[in-house]
Amino acid sequence: MTAATAPERVRIVEVAVSGSPRRGLLSRLVGRLGDGTVQVALAVVALFWLMPVFGLLVSSFRDETDNNAGGWWTVFTKPAQLTLENYEGLAANETVLRSFLNTVLITVPSTVLVVVISALAAYALSWIEFPGRGWVTTVVVGLLVMPVQVALIPVAKLFGALGLFGTITGVVLFHVAFGLPFAIFLLRNFFTGIPRDLVEAARMDGAREWLIFAKVVLPIGKPAIASLAIFEFLWVWNDLLVALVFADQDSAPITVVLRGQLRQFGTNIDLLSSGAFLSMVVPLGVFLAFQRYFVQGVLAGSTK
Amino acid sequence: MAEVVLTGLGKVYGDGTRAVDDLNLEIRDGEFLVLVGPSGCGKTTALRMIAGLEHISEGTIHIGEKVVNGVPSRDRDVAMVFQSYALYPHLNVRENIGFGLSLRKLPKKEIERRVREVAEVLELQEHLDRKPRALSGGQRQRVAMGRAIVREPQVFLMDEPLSNLDAKLRVQMRAQIARVQRDLGVTTVYVTHDQTEAMTLGDRVAVMKRGVLQQVGPPQELYDRPVNLFVAGFIGSPGMNLVTTRLDRDAEGRYWVALNSDALLLPESVLHQRPALADHVGEDVVLGIRPEDMEDVALADAQEGQLLHSVADLVEAMGSDVLVHFPIDAEPVVTEDTKELALDAGTEDLPSLTKGRDTVMVGRFSPRTRIYEGQPVAAWVDTSRLHFFDPETGSSIWNRSGDQR
Amino acid sequence: MSVPDTDAAGAPGARGVGRRRGHQVVDDPSTGRSPRLAALFLLPAALVLTALVLYPLVYSVVRSFFDRSGDEFVGVGNYVDTFTDRRTLTAFKNNVIWVVVAPVAVTGLGLVLAVLTERIRWATAFRLVLFMPMAISLFASGIIFRLVYDEDPDQGVVNAAVVGVHDLFSPSSSYPGAHPRDGAPFTATPEGFASTGTFRTGSAVTVPLVGFAPAQVPANAAAATAPTAGSDELRGVVWLDVSAGGRPNQLDGAEKGLPRISVEAVRDGGVVGRTTSGDDGRFTFPGLPAGSYQLRLPADNFELPFRGLTWLGPSLITPVIISSWIWIMTGFAITFIAAGLSAIPRDALEAARVDGATEMQVFRRVTVPLLMPVLLVVFVTLVINVLKIFELVLVIPPGSSQEEANVVALQMWQVSFGTGGDQGVGSALAVLLFLLVAPAMIFNIRRFRRERS
Repeated sequence: MTAATAPERVRIVEVAVSGSPRRGLLSRLVGRLGDGTVQVALAVVALFWLMPVFGLLVSSFRDETDNNAGGWWTVFTKPAQLTLENYEGLAANETVLRSFLNTVLITVPSTVLVVVISALAAYALSWIEFPGRGWVTTVVVGLLVMPVQVALIPVAKLFGALGLFGTITGVVLFHVAFGLPFAIFLLRNFFTGIPRDLVEAARMDGAREWLIFAKVVLPIGKPAIASLAIFEFLWVWNDLLVALVFADQDSAPITVVLRGQLRQFGTNIDLLSSGAFLSMVVPLGVFLAFQRYFVQGVLAGSTK
Repeated sequence: MAEVVLTGLGKVYGDGTRAVDDLNLEIRDGEFLVLVGPSGCGKTTALRMIAGLEHISEGTIHIGEKVVNGVPSRDRDVAMVFQSYALYPHLNVRENIGFGLSLRKLPKKEIERRVREVAEVLELQEHLDRKPRALSGGQRQRVAMGRAIVREPQVFLMDEPLSNLDAKLRVQMRAQIARVQRDLGVTTVYVTHDQTEAMTLGDRVAVMKRGVLQQVGPPQELYDRPVNLFVAGFIGSPGMNLVTTRLDRDAEGRYWVALNSDALLLPESVLHQRPALADHVGEDVVLGIRPEDMEDVALADAQEGQLLHSVADLVEAMGSDVLVHFPIDAEPVVTEDTKELALDAGTEDLPSLTKGRDTVMVGRFSPRTRIYEGQPVAAWVDTSRLHFFDPETGSSIWNRSGDQR
Repeated sequence: MSVPDTDAAGAPGARGVGRRRGHQVVDDPSTGRSPRLAALFLLPAALVLTALVLYPLVYSVVRSFFDRSGDEFVGVGNYVDTFTDRRTLTAFKNNVIWVVVAPVAVTGLGLVLAVLTERIRWATAFRLVLFMPMAISLFASGIIFRLVYDEDPDQGVVNAAVVGVHDLFSPSSSYPGAHPRDGAPFTATPEGFASTGTFRTGSAVTVPLVGFAPAQVPANAAAATAPTAGSDELRGVVWLDVSAGGRPNQLDGAEKGLPRISVEAVRDGGVVGRTTSGDDGRFTFPGLPAGSYQLRLPADNFELPFRGLTWLGPSLITPVIISSWIWIMTGFAITFIAAGLSAIPRDALEAARVDGATEMQVFRRVTVPLLMPVLLVVFVTLVINVLKIFELVLVIPPGSSQEEANVVALQMWQVSFGTGGDQGVGSALAVLLFLLVAPAMIFNIRRFRRERS
């Protein structure tokens, strides 16, 4: 009763992702196929989903000669091919290391800024009354699906004039701008789900608006903020397009640098596979550690 | 501690809906006032205006000496217990209770002391470190109370604080609220739609309907001397039996009303209390009989002109008493007020309880009655406690002057 | 819980807005109505969004009517260019294919898998696995699939599998590329290598083969020996006529016979006998009527192995990229639909069953209608995603099939920042892309408004 109610959508997701499996009625339809058949089929599907990533992982642990001589699956018969050579090469490659650092330098500030700015805005949209509130919220909803392409040329020009083009700051600003509509939308949905009584109780307890935000709404909104932060982190970390346009050689994140190697795909699979895997390690780790929050974030912000 | 005075208080929403209309109430220092009425009657809106959670459209609110219209909630020195309790889910019981104090930057020790005191009064000592979700409904309710008490405000505001509890717990908590309020002597405004709560808790009870105050007074006065059909029907359970009938005076100057083939004779005392009745002779009036003012004739000492005869339609044994339903041949009463009451009870679209021209009466008889369904009923009516209302206005018929008191 | 008062204003946020809006515009600290405070909270977001999203949108629209340099007004010229440029038209065509195929495929797959996983115990793990690609960058996914679809069956797992399956049903030849030595009396025909002359029964034929690495000869091959002529059988030997210091067309001691080569005896254009060589390369046609026969080594002895399909070539590239996108998005669809399934009230289904509906009827008449809004949201979301598809198309196709795989978002980037350098046309493409997602924008706003009221 007193617990803050998350937006409906987020709540059902929780049930779906981490709830205990139930004997669904729908599933009885397929029950005739036999439980075993279904399980085997699903296991095969799961295998299909894992194999491509596994292939890349294995390839990244084989040297160039082995990779050219045969597929990654030969390690099952000749495990001796596995080597750290590619990663050693990566560790010695300053461009790649620098780009990895750039990825961090772009991702972390973007995430923090998006969370802070959107939390403020979402609070205003949910709990402060002002004329035109519905209208502002509608604009935010409209911006949810805005393709970044419409802003690439003008913002490139703007950044050029401001000396931000090719800088990490520029890339971060662009990410923040296009991360905000979704972030505001997600947090607004969650914040409005907080019972009105709670906010009013705080108001009666003597809290000013700022304190209600900081001491009541933010702590209660923690799960939503976590979802948002993780989603935004992965979104920015995984970006290629924005950085491709706005970053220069010194500020390029890892995706951009690896993309530069793409032309010689066949010959530098060692660098590409290990580099790609390096770029995946952080998101995969974040995903596995916080999968529930991430799934909620993605579903809540499905429209992005 | 302070008195609360509402003067011409009104609330109009942006779309033109009027929630509260010209509400005048003087709540005395230390008084327990209950605002009661059906859903949508404006009682909660009125409370929220006192709390400072709702903008005041018209009129003024005084708390103590001060007009608080423009004063933000936090500076009004009032505390509120919400229907949902509104406990902060991220804080434990101790922090919940102390939240208001910590916002006021009281020294930590002082906060700790006062929280402890309150927890003791409410028997929450063992739960201080728990989060609200780990508490039972009753415990949550007490924490909500504690949060209000600890502030030592001038006024307590309570918005249906018991409606989320089950029936037994509600009775228990009702007693606790009464005790705490009496001990602290803090002016309290309490909103409920439950007339039992209103009657048991209030020093005075204010009945509202559609934003308009109907009557305010001590519970017994509301029960004995309701000003109109609405208050009469709202207070008391089961509700007062209402029938339309004709008031007559015979050659000997005795007043009586015909019901079925029976006639109820009005005793002198009734005429004395209600001199205006004389103006209604030969006219239709609304007659009200409370179920508890009837008894199985076998168990009562009946005299002429105090009997109603019918056949028992339904008998509900309650243990402490027996409710006997029986039809009588009389016009049912349908006015604005009775419609409002039916709406509140959710029975407005039920096929009415009447059979043809019949009205079903309910009598509350002693459990020793031997009446069964389908058997003839002879009910003794305490005619000295009959109620009369003007069928046009719905007002009680009292004094000639038109002044209802 | 009792029915709350309708005048309790218990509804938070949005519902309250409509109710209180328009009545009081001034600050009222008592009820949280405060335009000034709201402005303060909204300021940072408003600044960023205005400067980097709203203003650019307007600018792009204006810019799209100016030429490459941005100085000269060209009206709809850029749009005309767009619709006449071959590359851009390909991009549009591909976008249409994407929109028609991909979202439906993923929604359908998601529905099936969501229903199937409803009962299994490891549903959570399964959904986690399928959801994982969402965490990986599209760029990395592109690399993954470039590897998966590599043309070389020794690199790309798909072709490896295709070849494996193919060879299972029609095994590849043992001696790909081998052929009779030039001096030998055999000529290549469509059916295989046929002898130029005929041989009488009782003779022994030597068939020297070259064009094959000795190391590849099967281990069970024995040294080739000349068959003895005589009797009424036709005999011969097939061997690899390659050895250090060996003489052409001569059986040298070290030279190995080639086992399991099929040999046909032909007479008057018809095959009359068939046999297979032994470990030492010798073969015999038993029971042939006396006479002269032509010998033939059928072509399937020497066929080059099947190498799979050129997935990344121009003709298959778009389906290939779509398949990788399906790999990425299916987890999303499953999770979303599963959430919708679990939100269907149990009692609605049970009521239907008590009312006598069969399971199939319950599914069709209760579950699917109740799930429809969810499916619609999933579908629209996927369509938006598809319209913006960029990274996969940039990464997966090799240079040679880039053009065939092109899509609008990629073309916009290439025209503006890549090889093109024409920001007028680029802006026109950006505006077109915006117009493509505009229906989804309207859908979202409508859905939001409806939910709010």
